[in-house]
Amino acid sequence: MKKIFPITNAVIAVISGLLVVLGYFFPTAFGGIQATLIGWAIILAAFGLLLGVFNLFSVHWKKARNQGTGQIYSLVLLISLGLTIVLASISGPTGALSLWLFNTFQVPVEISLLAVLAIVLVYAGARLLARRPKWNTILFLVTVLVVLLGTVPLLFIGEITPLNALRDWITQVPAIAGARGLLIGVALGTVATGLRILIGSDRPYGG
Amino acid sequence: MQQVLSLLSDYLGVLFLILCLGLILFYIFSGRITEKISMRSIQAFKHFRREVDLAVEAGKRLHISLGRGSINELQGGSAFIGLTILDRCARAASNSDRPPVTTSGDGIIMILSQDSLQNTYHSLATEDRYDPTSARLTGLTPLAYAAGAMPPIHDDYVSANILAGHFGSEVALLTEAGERNRSLTVGGSDSISAQAVLYATSDEPLLGEELYAAGAYLGEGTAHTASLQMQDIVRWILVVSIVLGAILKLLGILS
Repeated sequence: MKKIFPITNAVIAVISGLLVVLGYFFPTAFGGIQATLIGWAIILAAFGLLLGVFNLFSVHWKKARNQGTGQIYSLVLLISLGLTIVLASISGPTGALSLWLFNTFQVPVEISLLAVLAIVLVYAGARLLARRPKWNTILFLVTVLVVLLGTVPLLFIGEITPLNALRDWITQVPAIAGARGLLIGVALGTVATGLRILIGSDRPYGG
Repeated sequence: MQQVLSLLSDYLGVLFLILCLGLILFYIFSGRITEKISMRSIQAFKHFRREVDLAVEAGKRLHISLGRGSINELQGGSAFIGLTILDRCARAASNSDRPPVTTSGDGIIMILSQDSLQNTYHSLATEDRYDPTSARLTGLTPLAYAAGAMPPIHDDYVSANILAGHFGSEVALLTEAGERNRSLTVGGSDSISAQAVLYATSDEPLLGEELYAAGAYLGEGTAHTASLQMQDIVRWILVVSIVLGAILKLLGILS
């Protein structure tokens, strides 16, 4: 049985993958089965989400039971999770209580993290030269400075027109060219990964 | 020319896939892959391999973050590379006192990472080492995911963090946590903004297609090396097509 299950998994995955891919190119012949399979995938993803929440609960339950520095945080998470489930069950996903929870806790905490993120990025930029003293690092930092100075009006000076023009040229010509080059690499890598799964060479599903 | 292109456009996608698949299969079965192919040196993978060995020797832990891409969307592709890296890490650390820990921001990717760990331990006959809580879902929104993935990085026993998957600019919070913990951070993503952030903040960034070459560089099998060969050939075809298209447009043959 231990040998049969992986092969069955691989056969199901390969056939399902092929049908979904064919559905994109030949919608009249395979569109129906493709829609059904994607529908099933969405339902499975919803169950995956439930299992994920259960995983989050079990990880923090384990942490809360053990004495340690993070114990209090795990307790806060478990209590918040329980309260959110109870309140959202009573008022519904778009009810007043759910929205109150979201606007009072989730939004301010995430905005605070965004503020921290801005500081982290500035600090990392300043540290980059010490970490990687190369010509491309200098080019990276100079470009960042030019784009920043070309985007925001400066104190007492206002906007500097040549910097604005330079910023526009950088973002529209070299930046887009570079991004497209990177995206072609990413797209080819994604196609290769998909094809390896489709031929059953990579089996990230227990095959 | 345009008539040919419009005729091809309906089937161009499927022709492209057949070409890619054909090249992969050709390199797998022709035996050409067994010959030593030259791969350019990528510093990140050198450091990664060394860090895995050091972690096993020093009884340290590896942290692999698979991002928050869902497999129902295009972003899931990069998470599959993360799973390949996870398999490699779990195999290398099978004798270590501390098995690797994974974090993700999607339920299905979390299940797949649990499955990958379980299968690796099963194949090595060390199933007793498998702990379901070593693969964790840390949050479902970008910042919640990053906030949840930071505590495992702050763990004193973590010696290296491998970030492989779909991230946004919030990945800076993870690299900063790694920096504070003085652990190595290798990072790659399919997102352009995350790549820019990783270039500035991680010890070893993987840019563009470098992340997708992980399997070939870490010795995950012939198919990975064959697909790397395929990517090289198709990239040249695309480069020639783009240049040719630009010339034809310049000459007014293409509108």
